[in-house]
Amino acid sequence: MRRLIFAFTTGLLLLAAPAAFAQTVGFAEAIKILSASCGKDIDKYCKSATLANNGIGQCLDQNQSKVSQKCNADRVVVRSLIEERLAAQAAAPKICNNDARRLCKGVKAGAGHVLRCLLKAQRSVSDKCNTAIDLAGYR
Amino acid sequence: MKKMLLAGISAAFVATSFSAATAQTELSRNQIINSLQGAQQKVDVSADELQKAAFDNIARYPGANSPQNLPLADKLASLRQFNIEITFDFDSARIRPESYEAVGLIADALHTPYLQGQTFYIVGHTDAKGAREYNLELSIRRAKAIREALVTTFQVTGETLFAVGLGEEQLRDPANPDAAVNRRVQLINVGYR
Repeated sequence: MRRLIFAFTTGLLLLAAPAAFAQTVGFAEAIKILSASCGKDIDKYCKSATLANNGIGQCLDQNQSKVSQKCNADRVVVRSLIEERLAAQAAAPKICNNDARRLCKGVKAGAGHVLRCLLKAQRSVSDKCNTAIDLAGYR
Repeated sequence: MKKMLLAGISAAFVATSFSAATAQTELSRNQIINSLQGAQQKVDVSADELQKAAFDNIARYPGANSPQNLPLADKLASLRQFNIEITFDFDSARIRPESYEAVGLIADALHTPYLQGQTFYIVGHTDAKGAREYNLELSIRRAKAIREALVTTFQVTGETLFAVGLGEEQLRDPANPDAAVNRRVQLINVGYR
């Protein structure tokens, strides 16, 4: 079922996925919510904060009594979206460990070689690993 | 205003409107990937050498504008690369909120297995308005700001990501040195190290 859904363009997936499906979004998708909902507040209250080190997110946290309601609601959403994607990326190699040993024997470790092997071997890869790869945004 | 420019090996430079591209965010992530990935010849130009060449160029050819491009940067022209416009506050290395998505797209692309393990230069360029030394320093700070955002907030591997600023020493359109097209961030895949 999940495989079927992922066969469609991933862009559509975001709109179509029911809440029951765990789903992550890319960093661009997440951070643009911050620009849209908090752009004005960022220019007003975070003139010296930068995008590095979650500086903008932290600045908005510190100014939560002043920023717009919409921004306050969405800054929390953006943070968790980014965290979820990062967690999914950290988890994927572990979840796919058995598949890698089974399907990518002799493939050099590191530098993405094993993950590229698993992308190519999609049809033979376990559902669990394929899902992990999807959630990591690696497809 | 936001223009995303794709540069291919074939010198077929295609310009697409960024806002049109972002209507399908996933697609533009893939555009970055497609522009950057693939086998290529090895070019041995370190980020430090490239950076030094810009300073040397100003010392060797002082004046309002550089008479020529940097030979070292020209050597990189055959590599897989991608040009993107990222906007900053005036005279500052602070990335504008409008460009967060562009930085996020770079992060999304660099995280994928297609680009993992390869080394990338983030090269900042300005137009030719203002003093060359100033433009050089500003472009360095801006390239570093992009790298910092990628490496910290979006946790892109830092070991294979190098920030270089070339100021106005490597104009994209030397015939129109003040043109907006010269202000861009160039992502260059220098391969597996």
